[in-house]
Order: sequence, then structure tokens, then C-alpha cells
Amino acid sequence: MNSKAKNLIPNKIRKNILDMAYNGSTVHIGCALCLVEIFAVIYRSHLRYDYYQPDDFDRDFLILSKGHGVMAQYACMKELGWLDELQLLNYFSDGTDLKGLSDSRIPGLEVTSGSLGHGLSVGVGIALGHKISRTSQKTFIIVGDGELNEGSCWEAIQFAGHHNLNNICIIVDKNNFQAMGSTSSIINQDNLFAQIESFNFNVCEINGHDEMEIDKSINELFSKTNNKPNCIIANTIKGKGISFMENINDWHYLRLNKYLYEQAILELKK
Amino acid sequence: MRETFSKILVDLSQANDKVLLLSGDHGYGLFNSLRETRPNQFINMGVAEQNMVGVAAGLSRVGFRPIVYGLSAFIPIRVLEQIKLDVCHDKLPVIFVGDGAGFVYSHLGTSHQSTEDISATRAIPNLIILSPGDRFELERCFDLAYNSSLPVYLRLGKADRGDVHRQSFKFELGDLIAIKHPQGKKKVSLVATGSMLQMGDRLCRYFPDLGLISCPSLKPINKKQVIELCSKHDALITLEEHSVLGGLGSILSEIAVTLSNINVYKIGVQDKFSEHCGSYEYLLKEHGIDFDSIKVLIKKYL
Repeated sequence: MNSKAKNLIPNKIRKNILDMAYNGSTVHIGCALCLVEIFAVIYRSHLRYDYYQPDDFDRDFLILSKGHGVMAQYACMKELGWLDELQLLNYFSDGTDLKGLSDSRIPGLEVTSGSLGHGLSVGVGIALGHKISRTSQKTFIIVGDGELNEGSCWEAIQFAGHHNLNNICIIVDKNNFQAMGSTSSIINQDNLFAQIESFNFNVCEINGHDEMEIDKSINELFSKTNNKPNCIIANTIKGKGISFMENINDWHYLRLNKYLYEQAILELKK
Repeated sequence: MRETFSKILVDLSQANDKVLLLSGDHGYGLFNSLRETRPNQFINMGVAEQNMVGVAAGLSRVGFRPIVYGLSAFIPIRVLEQIKLDVCHDKLPVIFVGDGAGFVYSHLGTSHQSTEDISATRAIPNLIILSPGDRFELERCFDLAYNSSLPVYLRLGKADRGDVHRQSFKFELGDLIAIKHPQGKKKVSLVATGSMLQMGDRLCRYFPDLGLISCPSLKPINKKQVIELCSKHDALITLEEHSVLGGLGSILSEIAVTLSNINVYKIGVQDKFSEHCGSYEYLLKEHGIDFDSIKVLIKKYL
């Protein structure tokens, strides 16, 4: 592990997210906080990449299809040295590069997402290419549970299953909310495990905030020899880590004021 | 034209094993020789166009040269956002082939007819739009598309009406191709794209004074050439099997209206869906773009 990757600890990542959210007065804070442990473990222990060249051709791919969680990825990229302090400080300032949704032109971000249901197909295409070229590269794709409303996701899932793309790992960030309410009240996903499994996937369900569990599940899935693509259903808490945001879906759209920002930072220090 | 297309695919696939043809379960018969000679370079993506374009973007990112094939009612119309975000935003050199453009599927109805695709794709940055009028133009268009570092939408319309050019020839992106110069006092030419080039050729025989220009490259378009054309004409008449909103007529008149003072008469589909079932010729007539209807219009303009 590169020394920088050791900096990828959840509290530091959450601090970066809150800093960006406050500096830029942004929305989508809850959407980012739930992804912290998933990103940390993948970058730290599973993704092969060149620290000095995030767009190296031979890298493993980490695709954030759920572009709304992009602050979590920026927060990691800061710790990896791909973004600097100033970029966090000036988040959302006029003329800057970092947008409120994932943009592929930023080295380290792989796809342009936020319009949902895109990254999964692009990731599947990347994995298909690696398979044809017989490389050992892996592709991790993070999708939201709300995102799975999109039909294109299921087109990608059935294609990956049919073509035995065992070099992918889809991680469903199952925080049980989407923009306007709970997923169960909008498009019920009680059967998600069986649904994905039925498309010829290895599936496991874990606590998406338990780093050991995330680590173990990725290792176990990729050590299977049945040629199936992999999927982790990661049960997460939208707004994780900040008591007044956890499972409060308003934090999809609410912004931090000075008082709330300070409260949130205090909670991280506890 | 379809045999030419099939041969180009086989040749390209043989020359470069990174070329992959992705089809959305379309192209019955068209890919037989490709599937026989290079089976690993043909992937039937199933009836799942959104995923097909996303996968093409992913393949392109890791060094492949995907050619995405579908009917133009689906590629590009059904997947416009995937083309915009997954491909054009990142300038990935993916070739989209939209077959059966216009009223080729005259009996099948609106779902398979495509007269808004040029208009819809034109506004997407980084996307090249090519619309060949015969097999010689197709050869060159494919050559330009394959050698482009940008994504390309290649629009293929009615393809069984014979050639207008006599042999293979070279032109560049944006070029307008003069086929026949206008005669007589009043200088008027037809400017045609795609299937309507053949129609323009027929019309020129009926109206011997009319000139004929082919426009296979709809985007980019060489503005200088358009302005020069305007300066040598009293009027231009555009012919397209596409809506007059946003197609070839719009492209030329957008330039002419600011940089010259000639009239650009737009002959094409008048912002409406087909009403009835019938042959290709019948549908052209219903939309007022068959030979006889256009003859009447031209007489009016002259």
C-alpha cells in the first residue's frame, strides 16, 4: 500500500466531504457520506492504480455510476494527492473544475454521471474489453439503490451475467432512500438479492460501513471460480456519521450553515 | 450500398482486430460475411440499445474501435443521452451507424421511421454527422469516420436506388460536392443529402438548368464553401428525407441568412408523422417529397 493510501480513514474522508459541502454550499451531502467506507477499502486494498498517474492505461477501474456521491470520491482523491487543499476550499467557485456530479474529465473520475444508469454500462464495456484483451484488470462500479430504477442498469446486469464478466464487482449502495423518499415507497427493492442473483451473479449482502466486511466480501467474491460477475449489496445509512443527517432524507438537498457545519465537525472529533 | 457496407466491415475487421461491430439485434443478413470471417468481432448486444452505447464507450476507453449498428430510429434517437454523455463528452472515436433513415420502413410505421435524427444529433458537441448518397460516398464517409479521432454518426437511408457518382473519389469533412453546375440566367442548384441525392439527380434531368450539389458531411460543414456557393447562386433548393426543422436546409440557411442574401428553399418533411401505411414511394408522396410533388415545388421556386 502506498503511504498516501493509509490516509484513507473514514473520519478524514468525512471531514473532507463536510469541508467541501460547507465551502461550496452544496447539496447531496447524505449521498456522499454513505459511501465513505466503501471507497476507503477499495482504494486502500483492492484497486491497482498508479499513484502518480490516475489515468494509467493498465489500472483497475473504480466507477462511480451514482454521480451524486462524488464528494466522497473527491475526498479520497484529496488524500491520495490527486486534488489539493485549494480545490476543496474553492469547491463550486466560478471557473473551477470540480463539479457537483462526477465528470470524466477529472483524472481519477472515470465517467460522467449524475444522469443515472450510465456508469454501469460503461463499466461493463470496460470489463468486456479487458476480458477480450485477456488482462487481469478489475472494474468496480458503485451504483445507488435509487439508480436501479433505471432500465439501463438492468440491461447492463443481464449483459454482464450472460457474458460471464467475472472481472467486475458491482457495489449497490443500498441506503434505502432516493431523492424524493424511501426506495420502498417508490419502487420496492425487497427482492434485490434474488433479482441480481437470477442474472447469473455472485451476490453477497454486507454492512457497507464495516470495513472488515467490505474487505472480506471483495476477497471472497473475486476468489470464486464459477466465472460469474460479482455484486455486493452494501447496506448503508444515508448521511452516515453525522447524527442529524443519518436517515434524514432531507439531507439529499439541504445545505450546511456555519452552525451545522461546526456541529458536524464536532461529532467527527468525538 | 449495403453490400459495400458489409464489405467495408469485413475489411476493417480483418485489418484491425480491435474493431468490434455491436448490433442491437438488427442487421439480419447484413453481417453474414462478417460473422463468418470474424465471428469474435461481432457482438449481438440484444435489444438493449442504452447498454450497447455505454458498452461501446467502455470498449473505446480501453483501446477498441466499436462500430454501433442499429436502425436510425433507435441509434441515435433512443440513445441520445448515452451518445452525448458516454461518448461525445469524452470525444471517444465510436462510429454510430443509423440504418434505414427516413421512410425506408414505410410499412412499419412511426416507430421505425426516422426524420428527426440529424436535427437531434446536430446540437451535440464533438459529434460528426455523415449522410452518404451512394456507395462511393459511403466508402469515403466510412474512411473519414474510421480515421476520425471524434465520434461519428453515419446516417444510412434508402440504399437500393443506384449510384450517382461514377467511381470512388475523395472528399474531406465539411465538403460540398458539385456534381452539376447550374445553367441559364437564373442560377439555381439542388443541394441534396443521403437518399435524396438520387432524387436530385433525376430532377436535374427533368430541369436541365438546375445544378446539383451533394452534401454528405452535415457536420462539420465548410462555411467558406457554403458562402462561395451562395455567391454564385440566385437560390438553393435543399432536398432531404428528414424534417425541415434542423436538417440540411436549416444548416445551409443558418449560414446563408447571416452571410449572404440568397433564398434557401427547404424541401423535406414538414414537421409531421406519417399518417398511413404503404410503400416507400407512397410515403414520400404523403410527405410531398416524391418526384412529382418536388417537381411542382421547384416550378414554383423557379
